[in-house]
Amino acid sequence: MSETERLLDWNRREFLRGSSLMALATLLGGVRLIRPEAAAAEPEPAPTEKVKVGLIGLGQWGRELLDQLLRLPQAEVAAICDNYPAMLRRSAKRVPDAMATEDYRALLENKEIPAVVVATPTHLHRDIVLAALEAGKHVYCEAPLAHTVEDARAIAQAALKHNRQVFQPGLQLRSDPQRHFLLPFVRSGALGRMAMARAQWNKKTSWRQTSPNPEREAAVNWRLARETSLGLLGEVGIHQIDQVSWFFGAMPTAVHAFGTVAFWRDGREVHDTVQAVVEYPEGLRLLYSATLANSFESEAEIYYGSDAAVMIRGSSAWMFKEADAPLLGWEVYARKDAFYKETGISLRADASKLRAQGDQAQAQAEATDPPVYFALQSFLRNCREVSSAVQDFVSLYGDSDPQALAEYLAKEVRRLPAADALDGYRATVLAIKASESATTGRPVSLPAELFELS
Amino acid sequence: MLAHATAWLLLLSLSLQAAEGWTRFGPKPGGKSKIRIEGTSTIHDWQVESSLVGGTLEVGPNFPKNQGEVQPGKLDVRAEVFVPVSSLKSIKKDGTPYSTAMDDIMHEKLLKTQHPRIVYRLQELTLKGSGGAAGTYNAEAVGDLVVAGVTNRITMPVQVQVHPDNHLLISGEVGLKMTDFKIDPPAPKVALGLIKTGDEVKVLFQWEVFPR
Repeated sequence: MSETERLLDWNRREFLRGSSLMALATLLGGVRLIRPEAAAAEPEPAPTEKVKVGLIGLGQWGRELLDQLLRLPQAEVAAICDNYPAMLRRSAKRVPDAMATEDYRALLENKEIPAVVVATPTHLHRDIVLAALEAGKHVYCEAPLAHTVEDARAIAQAALKHNRQVFQPGLQLRSDPQRHFLLPFVRSGALGRMAMARAQWNKKTSWRQTSPNPEREAAVNWRLARETSLGLLGEVGIHQIDQVSWFFGAMPTAVHAFGTVAFWRDGREVHDTVQAVVEYPEGLRLLYSATLANSFESEAEIYYGSDAAVMIRGSSAWMFKEADAPLLGWEVYARKDAFYKETGISLRADASKLRAQGDQAQAQAEATDPPVYFALQSFLRNCREVSSAVQDFVSLYGDSDPQALAEYLAKEVRRLPAADALDGYRATVLAIKASESATTGRPVSLPAELFELS
Repeated sequence: MLAHATAWLLLLSLSLQAAEGWTRFGPKPGGKSKIRIEGTSTIHDWQVESSLVGGTLEVGPNFPKNQGEVQPGKLDVRAEVFVPVSSLKSIKKDGTPYSTAMDDIMHEKLLKTQHPRIVYRLQELTLKGSGGAAGTYNAEAVGDLVVAGVTNRITMPVQVQVHPDNHLLISGEVGLKMTDFKIDPPAPKVALGLIKTGDEVKVLFQWEVFPR
């Protein structure tokens, strides 16, 4: 085939793919699987206004958050905090100009910093978050919000009370563009009648960190003690289980979980391997499993419908169709990947990139950012939006009508997608109950009122 | 019905005659105030909106109080109006949000950081006649509009509605050019200059104010 013929052929294929995807988008009620016009109209990015942010908690995950914040053009890491001096010094090298303190109260007193990210151990969230909200800060609090229902409720209620500040739980998948692309696809019925979901997180890692003395050992390995940790179901499973609740559009009615220390028999109290059956209305169930003993197949969420299954792995997703499923049309031209004896049809949010590259092999190398990047991006943007909306409103009407301000913020503020206080509370309560079930080995009923903030 | 009309006219009259014949008005939260800017580009039309229209309006003794009192001519009115630039948001034709990236571009073009408000200072309001409906008047406004720190004097027709409960709704529209305010119409580099925004825009507004 000559170069000209090859180009003509490529153009024809791209045209067909484009028109078919457009047809699907129409059928799905506006799902933007392809957006050539929007892509062409994409405006050049404006110089970004930075938000000064303080990071509290500089352990393993706190440092990951620091890395992501340093990548975000919207962020200025103005302060870092950890009550362990060695951790503070370690991160201070990355941000030498930032205020470094061992006392979170000193950070909260800094009026120049409007936003904080709380990444301390879960059982230490409550006091810090409540003080931060009281100090007028926007708060990003890692998930789970707390290790007890009482603490989670206190945090969520305080967040709702301080409604002129942003409160975002670290349910990062709720900000992930790939999940937002897939949500209407899954809910549209494209999978046929939904039958069940399955999710897993497999990683060979001990969770135990080295420490110079017994006090530090207890502090740094808080995840391994029952009184401070919700274990795998709470610290890891919360994200995937919450995603399933989100996609199903319902909270579960019961959970029965199981756990064992299968491999890391080092005296730890929390399980290194867990399974859970999470029951949703209309007979839907999620089968969840996680282990620290083996890494095979890593992490995934799979939704099974009568016409197709959708598997999400990281920032990629595929559809596996049943032989008797109706033809959607666009999938004929979509990229496909082999999975043992199955063929996965690629589902991608940014199909326009694939068109631009015109090369399926290249398109396979997706250079997307992790969900936590998008979660922090949403947080910073929303902080800016809410702060300026409050300022604008008060400049017109004064500050004597909190109800009117709340209505204005609810109606007019343009927020990027993110979990809110109620999402965080519900996901945390579910994680606590699942962990409780794994500990006792007994099923736990989840009445609807359990998920309400009274 | 007659008693009702008499009552509100009396109320309006008493209120407007307070403070040595001058009455001050201002906006309230949740009112009908809105400003909308409509423009064009080589690919599609665009629009931005804000519901925050602030400022004060003071009306003097010769401000019309009812249909029978219309006397064409200059009115005793003082007004300064502002719109916070950051409250302007891009929307689709159906009113749903368009793009935060577009908002950023617009705010940058309006020099939000240096000039956080669009300001209008009324210089002269001339009554032209009745607007048809009871309590509605047509007028011509001359004032200074400050956008991105650049001031232009503009003349535009406005309509004033005096409501029975004594609040006012002032509305109108005017065509403007971005370049008159030293704003270069956006032309995204990513589109290789193929997409250009039109210089001319239409500004539509309604400002609802209540006696203070």
